[in-house]
Amino acid sequence: MMKVSALKKSYGQGSSRVDVLKGVDLEIREGETLALVGKSGSGKSTLLSLLAGLDSPDSGTIQIGGQNITTLDERALTQFRATHMGIIFQQFHLVSTLTAYENVLLPLELLKKPDARDTALKLLSDVGLKDRAHHLPSQLSGGESQRVAIARALATRPGILFADEPSGNLDEETGEKVMDLLFQMVKETGTTMVLVTHDPDLAKKCARTIHLEHGGLL
Amino acid sequence: MILDFFLRKELRKFPFFFLLLFVTLFLGTLGLTGISLVSNQVRDRLRDNANELLTSDIAVSARREFTPSELAGLAEVFSGMAHRRYKVVDIYSMVTTLGDDKARLVEIRGTEETYPYYGGLTLRAGTRKPAPFYISKDLADLWEVRVGDRLRVGELTFAVDGIVEVDTSLGIRGFSLAPRVYLPLEKLVQSGLLKPGATGSYAHHFRLEGLSSGKLEDLKKEIYAALPDPGIKIVLPEDTSEQTGRVIDLISNYMSLSGLIGLLLSLVGVFYLYQSHLIARLKDLCLLNLHGLPKSRIVLGVVTQFSLVFLLVLVLEVLLVVPGYRYFAPSLSKTLGLELSSDVRFSSFLLDYPYLYVLSLSVLIPLLLGLMRTSMGLQLKASKLSMGRFRYFDFFPFALLLWLFSCYLANSFKTGNIFFASLALIFLLSTLLVLGAQWVLSKLLRSKGLLLPTVEYGIALRGLTRSGHKLTLSFLSLALSATLISLILQLDTKILGEFVLDHRKPALFIFDIQEEQIEELLSFTKGQGQELEGVTPMIRGRLEKVNGEKFGGRKRDFDFRSREEDEDATARNSGLNLTYRGSLSPAEKIVDGEPFPEAPGDPERLPGISLEKRWAQRMDLSIGDKLTFDIQGVEFEGQVRNIREVKWTSFYPNFFVSIEPGFIEAAPKTYLAVLPAGARGEKLRFQKSVVEKFPNISFIDVEELITKLSDLFTKSQKAIGVISWMSLLVGLVILYGLSHDQVYRRYYDLALMKSLGFSEGKLRANLLYEFGTLFLSALCLGFFLGWLLAQVIGKEVFKLPFGVDWSRILLPGMGLIILCLATILLSSWRAVRAKPKELLSDT
Ligand SMILES: Nc1ncnc2c1ncn2[C@@H]1O[C@H](COP(=O)(O)OP(=O)(O)O)[C@@H](O)[C@H]1O
Ligand SMILES: [Mg+2]
Repeated sequence: MMKVSALKKSYGQGSSRVDVLKGVDLEIREGETLALVGKSGSGKSTLLSLLAGLDSPDSGTIQIGGQNITTLDERALTQFRATHMGIIFQQFHLVSTLTAYENVLLPLELLKKPDARDTALKLLSDVGLKDRAHHLPSQLSGGESQRVAIARALATRPGILFADEPSGNLDEETGEKVMDLLFQMVKETGTTMVLVTHDPDLAKKCARTIHLEHGGLL
Repeated sequence: MILDFFLRKELRKFPFFFLLLFVTLFLGTLGLTGISLVSNQVRDRLRDNANELLTSDIAVSARREFTPSELAGLAEVFSGMAHRRYKVVDIYSMVTTLGDDKARLVEIRGTEETYPYYGGLTLRAGTRKPAPFYISKDLADLWEVRVGDRLRVGELTFAVDGIVEVDTSLGIRGFSLAPRVYLPLEKLVQSGLLKPGATGSYAHHFRLEGLSSGKLEDLKKEIYAALPDPGIKIVLPEDTSEQTGRVIDLISNYMSLSGLIGLLLSLVGVFYLYQSHLIARLKDLCLLNLHGLPKSRIVLGVVTQFSLVFLLVLVLEVLLVVPGYRYFAPSLSKTLGLELSSDVRFSSFLLDYPYLYVLSLSVLIPLLLGLMRTSMGLQLKASKLSMGRFRYFDFFPFALLLWLFSCYLANSFKTGNIFFASLALIFLLSTLLVLGAQWVLSKLLRSKGLLLPTVEYGIALRGLTRSGHKLTLSFLSLALSATLISLILQLDTKILGEFVLDHRKPALFIFDIQEEQIEELLSFTKGQGQELEGVTPMIRGRLEKVNGEKFGGRKRDFDFRSREEDEDATARNSGLNLTYRGSLSPAEKIVDGEPFPEAPGDPERLPGISLEKRWAQRMDLSIGDKLTFDIQGVEFEGQVRNIREVKWTSFYPNFFVSIEPGFIEAAPKTYLAVLPAGARGEKLRFQKSVVEKFPNISFIDVEELITKLSDLFTKSQKAIGVISWMSLLVGLVILYGLSHDQVYRRYYDLALMKSLGFSEGKLRANLLYEFGTLFLSALCLGFFLGWLLAQVIGKEVFKLPFGVDWSRILLPGMGLIILCLATILLSSWRAVRAKPKELLSDT
């Protein structure tokens, strides 16, 4: 499903240069759930941003379903991401001017999916937020926001889901509930998932765990 | 430490904020102070001018010599105060050239040696000497008289000592009914023209030491009490204020108000800039507070910061405005026909700054109160910072100051109130419109798809519905500047057209044409290749009775007419000019009552009378009143049948009273005619040839007046134009800051939409749709309001019909929209380019 080889990424120039990823090789199978753990500053988010095509590597390749995404131009990448990927962020990142319902609807309508509105409503009720559909993000709690974000990420039925510390901004109890929901939905849909976390309990829920340290995988 | 934090550190860290703040304040205040400086200078000059028109502080005059007891009474009144005095006698009489016996009616002014106390004569040729004999340039041009030529006045002969180019007592208009001749009073007496019974004006002028305006009014009452004859008239400088002067005064007041709009816009900008700045700084401010700095000192720090920027603005403006004024003063003087002093009274100019400062500061009050209401300790724990909310009531001090300031700038409570009320109305309208549209949209959009018709637009609409009052502010500032610009553009076509000199405008008024001369004159002018227009009979008469009761005369007022006509209309016991006319001139319109019937009809019916609207108002006459006139000894009764309104910008001669044809034709009369505007040289030649053939005929050159007024309007229009474009610039700066801020506030939204599959193009389209919709509606409202205002002004002041000049709306409107959209693209450029990876950063 996904094959990463010799991926390198560094920030800055000259003496202030930081080599964050020094050649990462990784393979992920279809439907696999993978936990990516490591210390703060070890480059987990950097790796995720490369995998999700949010940033481009200095060198190396990322093959997703036979497509090398590092060679795609901005436009093609955007299109590819919209069709094949879902992303969940630590800070939830809902579009502030759109309601919960509209946030879920957004990726569906961007791809001009048929029955977009019904799908969005169903997803919202799947995450238990049917009655909050017309609330703005500012009116939602953290847990609710993240549940909307999950619904939105899975709305287009992407092949692969990226999540960067999705419970990082939630209290323990809420975090646990939301993560259960996430895993349940990922399982139901058979989505491949790369999940960044520093919580060992959460990592355990994934089929495989990999450690990032000193710019490489252990 | 604290100062260091609020001044040096801030300045270094947020140079862009301070730059924007500076530019916004600078642009907003510059227009206002520049105009305020000019209008103060103009006002000073007009005050002097009023004295120059009168030539003294107070004049007591009558149409006859004063009796010895009256003179004693006058002496009694003035005995208590330090004063100087002189006497001026004006009479109309014929003057003849000695060589070729050309004769002509002139106004002869006999003065005592100390004349005048204010103003004076500027000579074009000749020298000043004691007891001189001067003639006006009109007469010199007409007769080609030179210094040294001899003229006969009454029984005396004089050699011309000088030719008068400017006589300040004639005012901006610069002409009198007949050309003037100046000589010493004793010579006038010797000439034998002041026979008992000769009509003229006999005036005693006084100059008082150490005088206050209230004192003059008291004095006026005292003199009226001492000299009970109603034929005696007392004139103070302010009574002489002539139309042109008042027009200038009015214009300068209106310009100040448009400057105020510019300031207001910039204050909206200041408010906005500070709001986003404070929110951005909130975390640091909370930290300061946490470590022991009380909120009041934080507020003080912000105030100090703002004051410093204001001080910088002031310094730069003083450095710019004064030399700027000195540079423009000469051309300004020429335009206004007022010799403006190039000395700037710093006091009057700098006095505006405390007002400006307080007003500008007051706009920050809601923010500062919001800061005081912020629970700073809690902020640091919360995941999202939020500043204490301000309440609408917090804007009260600002509104109050703004109201005071508009009254101060307009120089009148009435105008200030109207201005403030219209602003409030626009504000209210904008707010209602925005909130209403948001409400309707949110209802419509609820649980609809995003495809409306594209996702970009669907999202844009939602952005509009959900960003609340933020939008009101930007909507308002745009609508205001659009109103101003549209007003200028509309006035431009609508009103300037009125002052274009073309064949529809008169060049000369021709007076005193005798009945037996009219046919000959008309054929003579035809021979000269000219065509006279508006030939109207003029009959002297006096209003004796109204509805059978003796008519007492009414309060003084002024109108755009020759001063003589004015005095005639108002002075008690004096006559006025009547005419008879069946149809209206193109400049007239019946606003009330019926036109005169075509056929003679009922013989029992009283003859119809048509009154000019303002005169009728002043004299308190209305439709149906029965008026009795004394027309050279014969009583004539008629009934008011209609009220006419006259478009003064036609500049055609106008009669207060016009009688239905068929009743007074037999009365002795003279004619008045108009030479339409044409080439200047032709006009003078024509004048000469007419005078040669018909020496009794007099002229008034109106072309000069129209040219002057048109120049005045053009220039002031330009000045207001500059202000409105400046306020547009302020508007754009605000817009830039606003969209910059909005876009950065949505920085993550933008990155997010990118990660969800929006291309950069789609993002830009989304922003353009969102802000474009906002601006389009603001501009539409603004352009509509500006248009409406221009129509109302045109209707009220210039009697023009409503009309739409699309070319003046569509093109500039489109230009503005493009400008606005470009501003948005520019301000959002970087944010849109941002990579979505930032979404993954922890902060
Ligand atoms: N835009 C950037 N510019 C410079 N350095 C960066 C940037 N983004 C991340 N880094 C650095 O790269 C390293 C890895 O960061 P990140 O991937 O966010 O770590 P993690 O998510 O594992 O905590 C850190 O040392 C961070 O300082
Ligand atoms: Mg991270």
